[in-house]
Amino acid sequence: MGKKITIEPVTRIEGHGRVTIHLNDQGVVEQTFFHVDEFRGLERFCEGRPYHEMTQITQRICGICPVSHHLASAKACDAIDRVEPPRPAKLLRELLHMGQMVQSHGMHFFYLAGPDLLLGFDADPAIRNVVGIIKANPELALKAVNLRRYGQQIIERLGGKRVHPNFSVPGGVNTPLSQKDHREIAAELKTMTAVAVEAIGIIKGWLDANRHLAAGFASFPSNYMGLVNKEGCLELYDGDIRIKDSGGNLLAQFRPDNYLAYVAEHVEPWSFLKYPFYRKLGWPGGFYRVGPLGRLNVVDRIGTPMADEEFKYYKSINGGRPVEGSLFYHYARMIELLYCLERIGELLDDPDILSNDVRAYPSARLPGGGVGVIEAPRGTLFHDYSVDENGQLTRVNLIVATGNNNWAMNVAAGMVAKAYVNGNKLTEGMLNRVEAAIRCYDPCLSCATHAIGQMPLDIRLIAADGTLLDRLTR
Amino acid sequence: MDRSLIIGFGNIDRADDGVAWHIVNSLRRRLGEKRLDEDNTGLEELGSHVDSVFLTQLAPELIDTLAGYCRVIFVDAHIDEGMDDLYCSSVPPESAPPVLSHHVTPAMLLALTCALHGRAPAGYLVSVRGYDFDFGRGLSARSRELVEPAACKILQLLEDSSRKGETLSTCTDKSG
Repeated sequence: MGKKITIEPVTRIEGHGRVTIHLNDQGVVEQTFFHVDEFRGLERFCEGRPYHEMTQITQRICGICPVSHHLASAKACDAIDRVEPPRPAKLLRELLHMGQMVQSHGMHFFYLAGPDLLLGFDADPAIRNVVGIIKANPELALKAVNLRRYGQQIIERLGGKRVHPNFSVPGGVNTPLSQKDHREIAAELKTMTAVAVEAIGIIKGWLDANRHLAAGFASFPSNYMGLVNKEGCLELYDGDIRIKDSGGNLLAQFRPDNYLAYVAEHVEPWSFLKYPFYRKLGWPGGFYRVGPLGRLNVVDRIGTPMADEEFKYYKSINGGRPVEGSLFYHYARMIELLYCLERIGELLDDPDILSNDVRAYPSARLPGGGVGVIEAPRGTLFHDYSVDENGQLTRVNLIVATGNNNWAMNVAAGMVAKAYVNGNKLTEGMLNRVEAAIRCYDPCLSCATHAIGQMPLDIRLIAADGTLLDRLTR
Repeated sequence: MDRSLIIGFGNIDRADDGVAWHIVNSLRRRLGEKRLDEDNTGLEELGSHVDSVFLTQLAPELIDTLAGYCRVIFVDAHIDEGMDDLYCSSVPPESAPPVLSHHVTPAMLLALTCALHGRAPAGYLVSVRGYDFDFGRGLSARSRELVEPAACKILQLLEDSSRKGETLSTCTDKSG
């Protein structure tokens, strides 16, 4: 008789997910599904609304990466309005984005990934958490809190609010950067950069000490996607979309507004979240990975001095070919953190950053449409709008970063379940490894509700006839 | 000084998920304070005997704020049929292993405060049953009915805990 283990739901504020592990009669894992159950109704909700409201509406999809939605939406609205924001406005949008990246990457590494890495996958759950890290290294924990605060304060200084900023508008931004805010962001930059360097040391040390585990843990070939600038360097705000294959060969490079010629979406009946893939390779051969690992696997170099030095080591991990192990996401994420902090320095040093020329005034040609693409912390984020002659939205298509990684997370969870889960004797450590595989991708399954009681962790072992055989909750 | 902080959290664009915003504003009206609009968290106006804020989510950097209060009352929606529609309980500092989310729970926030400051306020949760979490503003009729009782509950809680002489507690076990 086959069995089924269900882990549900695996998220809280970001949405609802479940992992179902199917066992055979011998208790060996046969198949694993990572389901996303929540129906994302935002696209339909937005239809009929004025397009210029989208910069405020879409960021409320999520309390975790609202800035990414805010900026992707602003870029889509720029396209509808056929307006090019002044250079200072682009710099300020990028600075806002860097604040978001710093807080998100810092939070993920120290709060979500850190407990597994620093305390061990099998450590007692009572101590395998951020408080356990504080006990083990209070100085490091305080630095982590300050790093997140620094990123959030950049958002707050520019956007007026820490979570849902009111900053970007079609054609630019609504406020220039003040001298005072410029000075205060710059004042802490050196300290925060040192924290990023320390974090890189931690993850490199861990990967070195756990070389065998890192090489095999949810490691698989895939295609990769990310934005690059004209020099082929890492780009998080703008640029071309580049796709490479598992051997590091260029498959495509294109302007984001052409994305539908290159990206299609596959649907599975057991998940509401779709599975994007590279159209020319078809499904499932065209599935790709995005986010820190995806981005570092497509760029030629990073583009800032310290991160470029680190990137040399990253490239050496797999002999210059794309790095495949999911745990290397953590390393790639910290290289990006370093890049973002260096980039903040570059932006602050740019004389245009203090300019008052922050908005161009558009002249929309309606009906029409626009596409805005940005690299969110979790990966490539697409906003695509069509509007009628009144400026009301007739179609909204969002491909979120977590959607782009949807199939990869499924593969990762399946590989780890096969390697570690023994259906005859389920342990918390086994479950934690499956979660850890998904956690590498830092998923955000959608949508900004977080009621008390919404998020028990529930693992069920169910026989093929529906009998509940075992259950773990927390 | 015996100070209290009320932290409502949720998403006002997801119907009942934003019920805490309504509760916090009801409380502020009763305390003779200015209503929080959607662009104002209240974090810039701290310093009263009873402070109240509304946030989209709890975040680790709140620990420095929490460390200055004797008690903190978290206000949120809940979806647990097993809990009273208007639910009130104490919240001890408690750490839990990370799952996937960047969200921080009230118990975890108190545990972080304990771990980094060696002391933490007494924690309470006042939670109202939510029924509608769809996109859109406004509350379901059943959640709306609970807003004023929840504000009364918070006032009662403040009075009771103040009478007890609750003070900022020192954490003996930093793990919470």
